[in-house]
Amino acid sequence: MAEVSAAQATELGALTVAPAGELMDEAGANYQVVDVGVLAIRGYKGTINRWQPLMGWLESQIPNSYFRLHPLSLEELAKGVETEGLDFVITNPGQSVMLARQYSLSWLATLRSPINNGAAMQVGSALVVRADSPYQTLQDLKGKRLGIVSKNAFGGYLTMVYEAQLKGIDLPDLAGEIVPLGFPLDNLVYQLGATAHLGGTNELSGTDAPSGKALSVKALGLDAAIVPVCQLEQMQAEGLINIKDYRVLDNQAPVGFHCQVSSRLYPNWSMAKTNRATQTLAKQVTQALLALPEDSPAARAAESAGWTTAVSQLAIDQLLKDLDMHPLQTPWWQRAWQWVKLHQHWAWLALAILVLLNVYHFWLEYRFSRRGRELINTQRQLSENRALLEHAQRIAIAGELGASLSHELNQPLAAIGHYCHGAEVRLQRGTSPEELQAVLNLIQQEVSRADSIISRLRNLLKKRSVSKQPLYLHQLVNDTAPLLAYELEQHQILLSTNISGEAYPLPLDEVGMQQLLLNLLKNAADACVLRQQSEVDAAKNYLPTIDIDLRYQDRKILLTVTDNGTGLTEDANLLMQAFYSTKSEGLGLGLVICRDIAESHGGRFSLETALGGGCQAQVSLPRKLEGAPA
Amino acid sequence: MSQQLPVYLIDDDESVRRSLRFMLESYSLNIHDFDSAEAFFAAIDLSEPGCALVDVRMPGLSGPQLHAQLVQYNSPLAVIYLTGHGDVPMAVEALKLGAVDFFQKPADGAKLADAVVKALEHAKAHYQDNQYVKTYLALTPREREILNLIAKGYKNQEIADTLCIAMRTVEIHRSNLMRGMQVGSLAEMILIYGRIAEHLKVLDSD
Repeated sequence: MAEVSAAQATELGALTVAPAGELMDEAGANYQVVDVGVLAIRGYKGTINRWQPLMGWLESQIPNSYFRLHPLSLEELAKGVETEGLDFVITNPGQSVMLARQYSLSWLATLRSPINNGAAMQVGSALVVRADSPYQTLQDLKGKRLGIVSKNAFGGYLTMVYEAQLKGIDLPDLAGEIVPLGFPLDNLVYQLGATAHLGGTNELSGTDAPSGKALSVKALGLDAAIVPVCQLEQMQAEGLINIKDYRVLDNQAPVGFHCQVSSRLYPNWSMAKTNRATQTLAKQVTQALLALPEDSPAARAAESAGWTTAVSQLAIDQLLKDLDMHPLQTPWWQRAWQWVKLHQHWAWLALAILVLLNVYHFWLEYRFSRRGRELINTQRQLSENRALLEHAQRIAIAGELGASLSHELNQPLAAIGHYCHGAEVRLQRGTSPEELQAVLNLIQQEVSRADSIISRLRNLLKKRSVSKQPLYLHQLVNDTAPLLAYELEQHQILLSTNISGEAYPLPLDEVGMQQLLLNLLKNAADACVLRQQSEVDAAKNYLPTIDIDLRYQDRKILLTVTDNGTGLTEDANLLMQAFYSTKSEGLGLGLVICRDIAESHGGRFSLETALGGGCQAQVSLPRKLEGAPA
Repeated sequence: MSQQLPVYLIDDDESVRRSLRFMLESYSLNIHDFDSAEAFFAAIDLSEPGCALVDVRMPGLSGPQLHAQLVQYNSPLAVIYLTGHGDVPMAVEALKLGAVDFFQKPADGAKLADAVVKALEHAKAHYQDNQYVKTYLALTPREREILNLIAKGYKNQEIADTLCIAMRTVEIHRSNLMRGMQVGSLAEMILIYGRIAEHLKVLDSD
């Protein structure tokens, strides 16, 4: 057994080396050494002053005992219990619950308050501001600097947080900054007061009365501080501050309670035995505590009216649970980890399933995206093929229009040839070149004419563009009809165009629409020619006609091409199938493409027998197309 | 003087018509143009000689239809066809109808001018023939009978015998005939009769 001096034993961190047991003093008598850990809330010296008389009382009540007092911080106290370096602990209620749930502690007695008729409920928070500050309620402290002792301090912080939470306020979120200053508590009060004198100096001197240690603290500019209940009143009683310089917000002190308090009250400090102390010793200590007269020096030194039996700590339990700080309520991840450790096989299974599911998911995703790409490719190929078919059909029409087109082109070329030759002959015969200037203009006109025919043709032969541009359909009709003019003329087919309604532009695919128009006109012309050639009609006075009727209606454009040719020889649906043709040289694409083009404009295409026996093709284009002006 | 005869240009395409006119006028031809067969018919005396340059394809009456009408009127107008793209069957048909020539546009100016000149000669001859036929038709039946026999080489006596008339009567008819046919000599009269004989057959059969 090592002999340890009291001074050494109270050294922080030396707790573990002080085993319980009996000491032999110089006189040779046997002493039982008892280590008592106390939460040092008001500094080392203050704690000694407060509790040493109690140690003396206990020693006097229990023969041959030596009580060693250890003023400790919250963490040190917990560590002391954990390493069994202590026999008893005296601590505030918050920590008492924390400790009790983590280590085996038996509560022996609770301190009675001297101020409030010896009530055991003595712990809470006071939200203190300077008297001259504008803050009236907790809400006013939004974004302010708030001084506290520690985030684990029960009386000085957690009770206030809980109180705020009950009001629906998240205190840590509300405050702009929370400054933990640690013990001693007096510091907090001085700091709060310090801001009042910032104008002069940012250094503030005070005196820690119990320790007599001069404080020199740097002003932190606190707006408010949370201190344990009665801290202010006590400092006032000790003459350290003038309580009128301070104000407590949201005071809810019960009747007969002499301190201002911003939170509800919780049980006072309590004393507990650890595993190390024997039951006998515990019984003796409890008896000694309860026997302490309320006006004895030891009781007064501890700022108490003696001790009473341990009170229920349910309220504290509840508070810690609600703040999610209960020692039994380990953080969720810790609990999860413990579960995992306990049920390893299930955890592994779950993990395996998770991995498998993920692998499956990614595999599906991969397949999906591959299929998607394939689909897109197929679709693109399809639309490319369709574009090629349409292009082929346009070229086919151009081929069918060949005679017409070559005539159209030949006319201006012939004219140019004539002008050139005429000019040449005139020059040879002595006409001055100046006189021939006008001819050049005429030639230029013919060149323009040829150019416009070629560009019209090129439009037809070029690949269809996807974009639609706002166009007037009747202009397109007027532009397209001349491509067939020669052919119509050749067969003496009368083409009449009737446009009605107020014209408006629609986003049209120019080339596609032109192809549609040409297909319809060409079909109509072919039907007329066919009827002309039939022996029945040849003798009669047959006047082949094609009527284009274009109606701009409110909601749609209705384009009808009617001929008085041979009419429909087959079912219209059959005719609209790809590669079905009644013409020996037909591709069987014309009507399919007409329908496609109409549908790509959100419209409809229909084919039926006309009243006169010919054929009537109708295209209706809705006015409301994407991007269409309303 | 054939250059002075009118050349009629009938084409519905204005630019072609104007350019052709410009070209042909450089050959000092007397050009009149029309945009349709109908306009042409409305303005022209078909019995006068001239040349018609006709576009084959036109709205309304086509080139061949116009030509057919000219033939029907026995118009001395010579026809030359112009076409955008010449097709052989149409050319054959055109020439059968009696067209002087057939050109594909753009026509070679010099050749076309030559053809026009030739056509005008042709028209003039045709016109002359028409005149002769007219003169012939003005003769009395007895005079035509005698002219026919003269052309066959009959002498006055033989004619008198054949027709059972007096020799003197034959002589009177013969001098009237010379005057009516506006010819100076017997040889000339026989030549003209030979030329119009073709037309006469047609006329006689009517």
